[in-house]
Amino acid sequence: MALSIADLPKEELFGQGHAGCGGCGAAVAGRQAMKALGSRTIITIPASCMATMGGSNLKTTWQIPFYHTLFEIAPAVSSGIRAALDAQGIEDVNVVSWAGDAGTADIGFQALTGAAERNEHMMHVCYDNEMYMNTGGQTGSQTPMFAKTSNMSKGKMIKKKNMLAIMEAHEIDYVASASIAYPLDLIAKFKKAAEKPGFSYIHILAPCHRGWQIPAEKTIEFARLAVESGLFELYEVDEGKRTRTVEPIFIPVQDYLLPQGRFKNLTQEAIQGIQAGVNRHYGRGE
Amino acid sequence: MVKNLPVVPTAKAGSLVDTPTGITWRIQYPEILENCNMCLDCTLFCPDGAIVQQEGKLVLNLSLCKGCGICANECKENAIQMIPEYSGVQGVFR
Amino acid sequence: MSTTLLTGSEAAAYGAKLARIEVLAYYPITPAFPAMERISKFIDDGDLNTRFVRVESDHSALAAALGASLAGSRTFTVTNSQGLLYMTEVVYHTAGLRQPVVMAVANRALSAPHSRFPEQGDAISQGASGWIHLFCENNQEVLDNMLQAFKIAETVRLPVMVNYEGYIQSHTLEEVEIPNQEKIDQFLPLTRVRTLDVENPQAVNTVASPEFYMDYKFRQNEAMEQALTVIGSVSREYAQEFGRDWSGLIDTYQMEDAEHAFVAMGSMISDARIVVDELRSQGQKVGLVKVRAWRPFPAEALRQALKKVQLITIGDKNIVYGLGGALGTEVRSALYGQDVRINSYILGLGGRDVTTVEIKKVLELSEKTEKQATASEWFGL
Ligand SMILES: Cc1ncc(C[n+]2csc(CCOP(=O)(O)OP(=O)(O)O)c2C)c(N)n1
Ligand code: SF4
Ligand code: SF4
Ligand code: SF4
Ligand SMILES: [Mg+2]
Repeated sequence: MALSIADLPKEELFGQGHAGCGGCGAAVAGRQAMKALGSRTIITIPASCMATMGGSNLKTTWQIPFYHTLFEIAPAVSSGIRAALDAQGIEDVNVVSWAGDAGTADIGFQALTGAAERNEHMMHVCYDNEMYMNTGGQTGSQTPMFAKTSNMSKGKMIKKKNMLAIMEAHEIDYVASASIAYPLDLIAKFKKAAEKPGFSYIHILAPCHRGWQIPAEKTIEFARLAVESGLFELYEVDEGKRTRTVEPIFIPVQDYLLPQGRFKNLTQEAIQGIQAGVNRHYGRGE
Repeated sequence: MVKNLPVVPTAKAGSLVDTPTGITWRIQYPEILENCNMCLDCTLFCPDGAIVQQEGKLVLNLSLCKGCGICANECKENAIQMIPEYSGVQGVFR
Repeated sequence: MSTTLLTGSEAAAYGAKLARIEVLAYYPITPAFPAMERISKFIDDGDLNTRFVRVESDHSALAAALGASLAGSRTFTVTNSQGLLYMTEVVYHTAGLRQPVVMAVANRALSAPHSRFPEQGDAISQGASGWIHLFCENNQEVLDNMLQAFKIAETVRLPVMVNYEGYIQSHTLEEVEIPNQEKIDQFLPLTRVRTLDVENPQAVNTVASPEFYMDYKFRQNEAMEQALTVIGSVSREYAQEFGRDWSGLIDTYQMEDAEHAFVAMGSMISDARIVVDELRSQGQKVGLVKVRAWRPFPAEALRQALKKVQLITIGDKNIVYGLGGALGTEVRSALYGQDVRINSYILGLGGRDVTTVEIKKVLELSEKTEKQATASEWFGL
């Protein structure tokens, strides 16, 4: 049965009063995910925008147990939490580690690959804003080619590391990409992940209007354009079975790229290269 | 005087909801118009949980809204209008 | 109660078993690994009902233990040297979050150059971390301190390191009495505190502003000061129940009329006891002060124990570069203003032997040294 928004739980488990920017894509991801996960969830979030916006001093936006961890340890901490719950016979709790692209693919990768290899009963979520926003927007492995950041004013000259492929290679229970512009698709994927006995990985493209240099109100719109252009493919690998969950309509990639401040200086040659890459991936044209 | 703090640095769940941080940054606010068809999309796109579905109605809680404009941008019915916070000749804050 | 031959590693493992740890996480390193393997064997044989998180690194080992502790389980980890340094970030963090994690450390020298041999430099590097440090003089004390460590940790809500030296203790068989489980269960009932709990949700480690951070730190240090008392009371209670008195923060041996005191910690202590006996038999008024708890630093206890001596000789199996031996420096500062000669020596680094012979030589050298030119002198080069 298809999900409908009206049937989603009404409780707001994350986001109300949060301390992040207005129009934050990461916050949208958190709100949508919590509609699937529910209140019996323990979440660990390493240093990042998402951890910072969780609260300060004696105040928090979270309605569930939330732990702002050190930068590189969230999947390891969550593994320990699961072990403790098992030891205490507590069964019906979702254990989640949730990190930015740096906390997932760069400094956090060691703990992530470890937890995935052990097939821990938990899920890791990467909310990908394609740069290190909490420290001002520097380049990392998830920054796409050509994007300009606060420490690479001429743009990055190498490709984005494919985290979904890397996680798929771990042969874990469930791997999926998701987008905040497709909330029902995202929520369905979280529900699937929560049912798995082992490890799941969900990679969400969550635009940051500050880093991407787009208007705040267009956060969702750009998340959608990324999918429509085919640049960010929505799919899942459910126990080895790969399915595309949203078919792109293939708008020209430049419609997604050029309006973003970080890609302002893209050459036509570069755009053609990116478009060719998309065409190749989906077996179109050429 | 040393504060009486929890042993483990912690905060009580949901304690920010009543004292939200960001609304003073707001320069515009949304208004829901009559042509809203209750598709509820905006409830999942708002980053701040400021528009929610309550007893079959769409409820906007301005004390949580940061005025980002996502809801207005995403509404397929054009049923949300963003209005500048300052109004009147003196430009007073609402 | 039964007596068996155990290595220090096995003694630590039996301690963890008797404490009924619920979650274990470790990453192999020499010479700590035999303790790890022994506990895993307990689990595999069904003698211990513990969840083992087979992490991919030392850093994650403490992270997993910390997560489990926050979720309310009694947790334990083992490491040393490079592993301890690698987890340092989590070491400080665990103390700040006031989690009663216990960690056994089979002390080993730090790289570079690479060394696998005993030294206390690894533990010393964590002196400002907010962990309670216990040092053990023999394998029996390793086992007993493990059990006391959990009790102390859960009382003051601070993590505890149980230090014993690599090889000298970790790989050496000694007679160890294993207390019986029922009595341990009474001594060490599980006090479960769930910080991460879906029934009572809260946010852990929210960002602290300058208005809050310092107050948290004051409280954390206050708990350390509380440990000064608790370490003593736990030790007395243990002595009453199990008949072995490790005597709290420090232990003194032949100090009543001593004129010359040797101050040290760890494996040197058991050798030093023999040296003191020998020198006493020759009529020399020599005594021994063992620092059992290095953190919190037992300054007042040391002042009391050392107030009548004329000469203090300190042995440090560590070096704080540009300063001297850690214990030497700290004992000097604790005794500031006291009219006493203090000589401090760095010895036994990276596994260089410190036997009764060396300890005797150090004491002789100290007798002859009127005033040291530097804060600590090197012995045995
Ligand atoms: C060990 C360590 N190194 C560096 C930092 C500084 N730091 C905090 S957050 C962050 C970037 C986070 O980037 P990402 O994971 O992509 O999340 P985002 O802030 O973009 O949401 C960095 C470098 C830190 N907190 N800890
Ligand atoms: S900088 Fe970007 S990711 Fe961080 S809170 Fe602001 S909008 Fe969100
Ligand atoms: S998105 Fe527009 S039409 Fe849909 S519920 Fe919101 S305001 Fe109404
Ligand atoms: S303007 Fe932004 S914060 Fe306010 S209700 Fe709309 S989406 Fe939510
Ligand atoms: Mg990021």
